[in-house]
Amino acid sequence: MKRVITGNQAVAYGVILSRVDVISAYPITPQTTIVEELSELIASGRLKTKFLKVESEHSAMAALIGASTGGVRTFTATSSHGLAYMHEMLHWASGARLPIVLVNVNRALGAPWNIWGDQSDSLSQRDTGWIQLYCENNQEVLDTIVQAYLIAETVRLPVMVVLDAFVLSHTAEAVEIPSIEEVDSILPPFCPDYPIDTQEPRAYSVITTPDYFLEFRYKVQKAMEQVPEVAKKVDDEFKARFGRGYGAIERYGKEGAKVLLMTSGTVTSTSRTVIKKLVEKGLSVAGIKIKRFRPFPSEEICEAIQGAKKIAVIDRNLSAGVGGIFAQELRASLYSREERPPVFGFVSGLGGRDITPELIEEAIQYTMEHPQPEGDIVWLGLKR
Amino acid sequence: MSKQFQFKSVSEMPMISVSLGDMEWNKTGAWRTQRPFYEDKTPPCSAACPAGNDIVAFIQKIAKGDFEGAWNIIKEENPFPGVCGRVCFHPCESKCNRGSFDEPIAIHALERFVAGFGSRLSKNTGKSGEKRKEKVAIIGSGPAGMSCAYHLARLHHDVTVFESLPLAGGMLRMGIPSYRLPREVLDRELSGIEALGVKIQTGVALGEDVRLEDLKNYRAIFISTGAHRSRGLQIPGEKEKGILGGLDLLKRMNLGKRMKLGDKIAIIGGGNTAIDVARSVIRLGKKATILYRRSREEMPAFAEEITEALEEGVKIRYLVNPIRLQQKDGLKRLECLRMELGEQDESGRRKPVPIPNSNLRIDVDHVIVAAGEEIEASFLPEGLEKKEGIVLTRRDASTGIKGVFAGGDLTSTQRTVAHAIGSGKKAAMAIDAFLEGKDTEEAIVQHLVGEGPSLSIFRYLHPGERPRNPHIVPFEELNMDYFELAKRQEESKRRVKERIRDFNEVTSTLTEDAVLEEAGRCFGCGTCNECENCYVFCPDVSILKSGGILSHQVDYDYCKGCGICFTECPRGAISLKEEAK
Repeated sequence: MKRVITGNQAVAYGVILSRVDVISAYPITPQTTIVEELSELIASGRLKTKFLKVESEHSAMAALIGASTGGVRTFTATSSHGLAYMHEMLHWASGARLPIVLVNVNRALGAPWNIWGDQSDSLSQRDTGWIQLYCENNQEVLDTIVQAYLIAETVRLPVMVVLDAFVLSHTAEAVEIPSIEEVDSILPPFCPDYPIDTQEPRAYSVITTPDYFLEFRYKVQKAMEQVPEVAKKVDDEFKARFGRGYGAIERYGKEGAKVLLMTSGTVTSTSRTVIKKLVEKGLSVAGIKIKRFRPFPSEEICEAIQGAKKIAVIDRNLSAGVGGIFAQELRASLYSREERPPVFGFVSGLGGRDITPELIEEAIQYTMEHPQPEGDIVWLGLKR
Repeated sequence: MSKQFQFKSVSEMPMISVSLGDMEWNKTGAWRTQRPFYEDKTPPCSAACPAGNDIVAFIQKIAKGDFEGAWNIIKEENPFPGVCGRVCFHPCESKCNRGSFDEPIAIHALERFVAGFGSRLSKNTGKSGEKRKEKVAIIGSGPAGMSCAYHLARLHHDVTVFESLPLAGGMLRMGIPSYRLPREVLDRELSGIEALGVKIQTGVALGEDVRLEDLKNYRAIFISTGAHRSRGLQIPGEKEKGILGGLDLLKRMNLGKRMKLGDKIAIIGGGNTAIDVARSVIRLGKKATILYRRSREEMPAFAEEITEALEEGVKIRYLVNPIRLQQKDGLKRLECLRMELGEQDESGRRKPVPIPNSNLRIDVDHVIVAAGEEIEASFLPEGLEKKEGIVLTRRDASTGIKGVFAGGDLTSTQRTVAHAIGSGKKAAMAIDAFLEGKDTEEAIVQHLVGEGPSLSIFRYLHPGERPRNPHIVPFEELNMDYFELAKRQEESKRRVKERIRDFNEVTSTLTEDAVLEEAGRCFGCGTCNECENCYVFCPDVSILKSGGILSHQVDYDYCKGCGICFTECPRGAISLKEEAK
């Protein structure tokens, strides 16, 4: 069935199709319509999911930690300040190895007050032990939710699925919606490792002395290291079943291009148009879309950039004092390689400003014209 | 203690930090520095009830639909719920914590409903078992005397009540008009007391038909002859023929005596008697004007009564004081002075001060003086100490004469039905203790509700049951997160046009639905109603349901003393104290 739906509706469909047992969420723009959609379905009795009302995002995540420990499939959605408010519980969820899926609709954090798209919220949570998957369009949003449960429940780590505020969350486009039976055929029910059993009571996440804490964190890292392989398998199976796959990254544009442009989220869609036009003009450019941010796809990227002389990265986020976070991660990945093309770290579109085709072209132009960037950050579209 | 595991390598370790067995060995109660415990406390309503009703207990029964249970609880303390539900000035409602949230619980209306329900129950109250040999005499069959008789009878004493008038009930019958208290309600409750074996001898007046010396074969005597002599105005012309006391007029009407009254009637005074007279007169088709020397704010009559009187067409002239009364051709002429309010007097009200040369004249057909009542001391036995218009009693209601106790309006300036009922109960407890040779004062002090003066005879009769800390729960100790605003259920009243035509009751009893709703509004201050909030919230699963006198218990093996149960208890029924070090 194909329907014209918003990104947030695509999230709701993904949740319904994944047969989630417990949802707990607190509303925040631009996430609100996800929760509205789901809670109305639950209230009307059409969706047999338990919805836990809470007074904050912190409690929403705490509630899901309890529910997930109890052995059921769980979901929440949030944005911006809401995600920041969950921070402590995000660490707990991954440390407790709970396969919770969270949708974050990217939105800037104040001050100043702003409700528009910006990746600072999700990227601020990069060290919480969560897998992070960024989406380019509404179809990918729906498909990624289903894939997220498959990955999470295999490696026992929580997954954050990320989409852009308004450009996806509130914009409708045609989405193919699989039947629930089709999804059932690839997504089995969740089976917990340490189920709560009143006959056999246990204490969970009990205090752990320095003797063993390091080992538990080692296990988290090992689980992260499994993700590339597991995610690829999940994506391959998904593609075989539904004809749609996404990979950890996607390279497009000219083969053997000298200049690469790395983007994430909806900026990729715009970049595709720009690069297509430039390649037609005869320029040697190609694009790399980053879907998976955690664990960072270093292997995949290094393979994809072979032969490139320069890499431009457009970051819709800022780690003040350093620069764009994707560029920073890329530089770290390249350091151990022999081939280390210069990285042009463009920062643009913060707080929801449009990253237009003109700006993207300007970034590529700049990269081609300069042997090295003039600094760690190249501001794109700044009113000077 | 649990088995200790030593992992040699990371591969031996589980995925997460999880205990491999249960944790019951870990008695986390040892970490506790503060201890929660269930302890019912005193609700402000009960503490404020002069009759000592266990208000929250009976409302909780109502809320469960157990009207008979509610009836039984009320009857433990008070033989007059039908009377109190109608005429009590309900100080309980003024103190109700719900008043700080939206509106107080309509406690009087609930009590009235339960009284109506109880009246339809089968009358097997029966005689309260074998009577003892010692006899007790009670002088006066008003609310104090009959309350004393009721409780003494329940304590198996042989009680005889002497009443000077031809009918029992005292002020309830003589002073309160039937539009406020229908006679069948009063008769029903009086006969309920008689059914316990209490003998009532009417037409026997103390000092005339019977003297204290004649009552030698009674081991104890309770004097509750009330205060029904109208206090005069001390103005010229007052003693003239045709000038009636307010209470005298009510008494005549209530004894069914016919009276000839003119059309225009002035009533002097601002208390409940003045209002009762005025409203009665209106019902006889006359014009009633109340003259009061202060303003409405200072009127001692109950506010609701004043409102109803005004609705019914009673005129009230404030700030006028009669100074002379003249009569001419059957007409009465009152000469009055206008007043203004000055400084506060000892009663806390502003004192009326005459405005010089402000004389005015008011012509009426009749003048009724209702400026207060005083006790009739002439027939009282010698040896009773009197001061400032009342008979003095000790804390245990005893007088200077051994075995003679006194109560009701005779011994107090707080002359309300509820106070009289409470004072009769106190005397009953003291007399029982006296006849048992126990310390009478101690018997009273041990059974105070809160800090007193309200008394619980239930606790005297059933020591250890329904224990309550005397601490009175203030609004701040309740958790308002668990209550929603809800409108108070009001009793309906007959239309003014109809009610001034007869002496039938003005106010009607709440319906069962309204009563259930109203009972559901009660916070139940300080009283566990097994709402299970503690059970739900306890993070250590340390609330145990016990089914004993207290329905719940804390499992101190595991309770860490976090205090969440204490905080989340909506009604302050859990206490928290520091652990002994």
